[in-house]
Amino acid sequence: MNYDRPELLDRLAAEYVFGAMSARVRRRFQAVQRALPAAQRAVEVWERRLTPLARSVPPAQPSAAAWEAIDRRTGGQASRAVARATSRFAWLKPALGVAFGVIVTLGLARLYPTAVVPVDEFVQQRGTLPESYVGLLTDDANHPVVLASSTRYGRTMSIKMLRKVDVPPGKVLQLWALPKEGAAFPLGVVPAEGHGSFRMADTSEKLLSGVPRLAVSVENAPARAGTAPAPYVLTGNCVKLW
Amino acid sequence: MPAATIAPGDLQQLLARVALGDRVAFRQLYDATAPSLFGVALRIVRQRDRAEEVLQDAFVNAWNRAAGYQAALSQPMTWLTAIVRHRALDELRSGARHGAASPADGEGGAAADIEDERPNPLGLLEQAADALAIRGCLDAIDGPQRQCLALAYYHGLSHSEIADRIRSPIGSVKVWLRRGLDKLKRCVEALA
Repeated sequence: MNYDRPELLDRLAAEYVFGAMSARVRRRFQAVQRALPAAQRAVEVWERRLTPLARSVPPAQPSAAAWEAIDRRTGGQASRAVARATSRFAWLKPALGVAFGVIVTLGLARLYPTAVVPVDEFVQQRGTLPESYVGLLTDDANHPVVLASSTRYGRTMSIKMLRKVDVPPGKVLQLWALPKEGAAFPLGVVPAEGHGSFRMADTSEKLLSGVPRLAVSVENAPARAGTAPAPYVLTGNCVKLW
Repeated sequence: MPAATIAPGDLQQLLARVALGDRVAFRQLYDATAPSLFGVALRIVRQRDRAEEVLQDAFVNAWNRAAGYQAALSQPMTWLTAIVRHRALDELRSGARHGAASPADGEGGAAADIEDERPNPLGLLEQAADALAIRGCLDAIDGPQRQCLALAYYHGLSHSEIADRIRSPIGSVKVWLRRGLDKLKRCVEALA
C-alpha cells in the first residue's frame, strides 16, 4: 500500500479514529503511524474533528477503586510525590550528563554557570533539571532506541543509543527534525550504538522550538538541508524539559 | 466537577501541572473528566470492569504523557478522549480475540453490563449533531451511511461486525462508511 498518498492516509486515519478497523488492520495502521509522521498527523486531525461527537455519550461514574488503582500505578500518595517527580526524569540523567560535559568543553560554562554542577547536584539544588530539548525515539515494536538531548540554548546534540541498530555497510543513521509545519530537516548523524554527539547548525531553541517529533532514517550519506528523507525506521516525541 | 462545567483553559492548566508531577492537579483532572471518559469507554467495551481497566490505563497514560501534551494542537478533552477511545477500541478488539462478548453480539450480549435502555448509537449521533448545530447536514447523509457511522463511532464496530449487525454485504458497508465519513467530514469542517 502506498502510504505516500495523502488521500489514502486520510481515509485510513478516519476509519482508525472512527473505530471501524478490524484488530489486524488496526495493529498494522498503528505500526504505520509509528513509522510515518504524516499518518500520525492525519489521525490527530480526525481526532480533533470527531471528538465533539463523544459529547452526547451519557457520563457514568466509575467506582472508587478505579482512582485508587490509578493513584497506585502512578506512584501514589502525596508523601511519595517528591520521589516520583525525580524518578520520572531518572532515565534522562545519563544523556544530560553527556550534554553537560560537551557544554563545558565548548566553553559555554561561562554563560551557563549551573552547567558545571553535576546533574545530580543540579537537580537536588534546584529541584528541577536544566531547560533542555529531549527526544526519545522508538522502533516499530515500541522499544526505546535513541535518547537525544540538548540544552535549550546549546548547539550540541548528545546521543545515547539505548540499543544497537544494524546499519548496512556504507549507510548512516540520519536524525531528522519533524516540525509542526513544513518539511523535515536533518539535524545530524547518530551512531549505531554507544554514545555520540554532533554540533547543530543553530541552537536547540532556534531549531527545535516548533518541532514535536524526531525521526531517524537510513541514508547513503549524511543528509543535506532540503533533501527528502528515506523511510523512517525510528520515531519519537521531542519535548521541552521546562 | 464534570468536564462539561470546567473551561478548556482550566483543564489545560491542570494538565500543565500534571506534567510537572502535581498529584493534586491529577486528582482534580480525574474528578473533572473521569465520568465523561468512563461513559465513552463503557459505551464501547460495554462491561464495567473492562471499562474501568480502560479508564485506568488511559489516566496512567495521560500521567506519563502529560509533558508531551501540546495545547496548540488539541483541546484537553480531545486529547483525553482520544486516549480513552483508542484504548477502549484496542481492548474491544483484544476481547474479541479472547472470546469476550463484543458489540456484534447484539444489544443483549450475554456479558454486556449496559443494555437497551441506553440511547441507540444513531440517537447519540443525532444528539451530537443537534448540539453541534449540524443536524441538517447530518440528515442529508443517507440512512445506511448514518447507521454505519453511528455503529462504528459509538459501539466501536468493525466493518464486518457492522455487516453482521445490519445484515448487509461487507462491501456495501465499507462503501457506506467511506461515503458517510466524507460527508461527515464536510459537516464538521463547515462547523469549524
